[in-house]
Amino acid sequence: MTTLEQLVKIFADTFQVSTEQITDGFSSETVDNWDSVTQLSLVTTVEDTFDIMLDTDDILDFKSFSKAKEIIAKYGINP
Amino acid sequence: MVLNINQVNSEATAIIDDEGKALTYGQLCHYVELIGTQIPTRSVVFVLSKNIPGSVAALLGCLNCGAVPLLIGSETDADLVDSLLQLYRPQYILQPTDLPNRHHLEKKAEFLGFDIFATGEVPYPIYRDLALLLPTSGSTGSPKLVRHSLNNIEANAKNVAEGLSISLKDRPLLILPMHYTMGLSIICSHLVVGATIVMTEKTLTDRALWKVFEEQKITSLTGVPFSFEILNKLRFFRNDFPYLNLISQGGGKLSQELFSTIVTYASERGKRFVATYGQTEATARMSYLPAEKAAEKICSIGLPFPNGTFAILDENGNETITGEATGELVFKGPNVTLGYAKSIEDLTLGDENNGILFTGDIAMRDGDGYYFIVGRKSRFLKLYGIRVGLDDVENLVKSNFPLDCACTGNDDKMLVYITDSTYEEKVKQMILSKTGLFHQAIEVIVKDEITRSQAGKVIYSQQ
Repeated sequence: MTTLEQLVKIFADTFQVSTEQITDGFSSETVDNWDSVTQLSLVTTVEDTFDIMLDTDDILDFKSFSKAKEIIAKYGINP
Repeated sequence: MVLNINQVNSEATAIIDDEGKALTYGQLCHYVELIGTQIPTRSVVFVLSKNIPGSVAALLGCLNCGAVPLLIGSETDADLVDSLLQLYRPQYILQPTDLPNRHHLEKKAEFLGFDIFATGEVPYPIYRDLALLLPTSGSTGSPKLVRHSLNNIEANAKNVAEGLSISLKDRPLLILPMHYTMGLSIICSHLVVGATIVMTEKTLTDRALWKVFEEQKITSLTGVPFSFEILNKLRFFRNDFPYLNLISQGGGKLSQELFSTIVTYASERGKRFVATYGQTEATARMSYLPAEKAAEKICSIGLPFPNGTFAILDENGNETITGEATGELVFKGPNVTLGYAKSIEDLTLGDENNGILFTGDIAMRDGDGYYFIVGRKSRFLKLYGIRVGLDDVENLVKSNFPLDCACTGNDDKMLVYITDSTYEEKVKQMILSKTGLFHQAIEVIVKDEITRSQAGKVIYSQQ
């Protein structure tokens, strides 16, 4: 699985939607059940999967699929 | 006036909202009186609350004029609200103006972002001391409510303010929803001393919340175990917040590791960490672990708040109040509520508890008299800080599907056993949509049959 596919799968699993729905427009603004519970789960799974540790600002900014790609790239994980 | 809010300097700020808009004690009193002119005493009122100042005015307005509010979250599933409406037939509904008027009710008035609707229902008899109703398991729409008196609310407010040394200089950040008993306790225990409450609808993972935290010079933060997991993830405990003085926790048991992390943070940064214990049935809080004992008594629920006492029931059902012991925890105090209501008729019931609460929790008392929760007799879980009645979920499943069902689990995950694999996904989706729980908090398991005793009772330990 490519890094991008892994990231898509994490999002799809966390929000219980199909992988086709995970596009750049997938964000806390457009998803109903995006709250602190799902966000914590999302961040924790990303950290565990890619073996990175996000800093506070990055966790707070982790609010959309496009932003997520940008953030993990900063940690050397290139989707 | 209720909680003596008219005794506070009327120019002092009572509540600040997410936009930084302030409501003074004088203004709060004005709205409390205004609500009293719209709603007759002894009415039953549904208050659909969210964390905005109008919700506090709605609550206090009802309490002050002798109407009885039932507080439920404004985001509660509409079907669940409707089933409560049918059951309790309130004469009035107070709800945020952005919610739809689904039943085309007559609008009586507006205040602070709230509409007052008259339902046209006929008033019915209720017990003279009944003042407030809170759901036991809000998210499942269970009809089981906890009946509070005004004395319960005022005793909780004063005893908690005294125990936690809350002063009028305090500026707590209210993140917990106010329709949760702990959220309500934060509001009442601060208003009673004239402090300023900062209310937010934002969550800990919103950047905007941290802006409010800094700008409003927050002095105290209260959370449930899950809040502290998020704070830990956000590396909160590596930062200094110069105005923060008190960190308090309730709503379940912290892990030892997290408890120790907070203790260390508090002692290094000169802040107080106070763990508390409570239940809706005792108007939120029963005990607290004094900050200076936190390092020594890790994960203890401490000692009762002023005017309360604890006892432990031994195997023979005798109460013990000193010495090492383990057994069911019993609490006595003026904040023990009147009892439950499951129907409209139950609202006529008097005080069934007489100040004594059998908590359903198993506690251990150490040689120094400090209490620790070690288990639970009662059939509920605390999932991400939300209390979920296992019997309520079973009933939800059985009433929506032709299935036998048994629910068990722990505070990490609820296990829902059913007997037909074709319903597996449907059951899960129904529970998720009704309760708003996170999907990883629920696992639906299909088995041939639910294990029962010869008497037909579900054997939960053998599913």
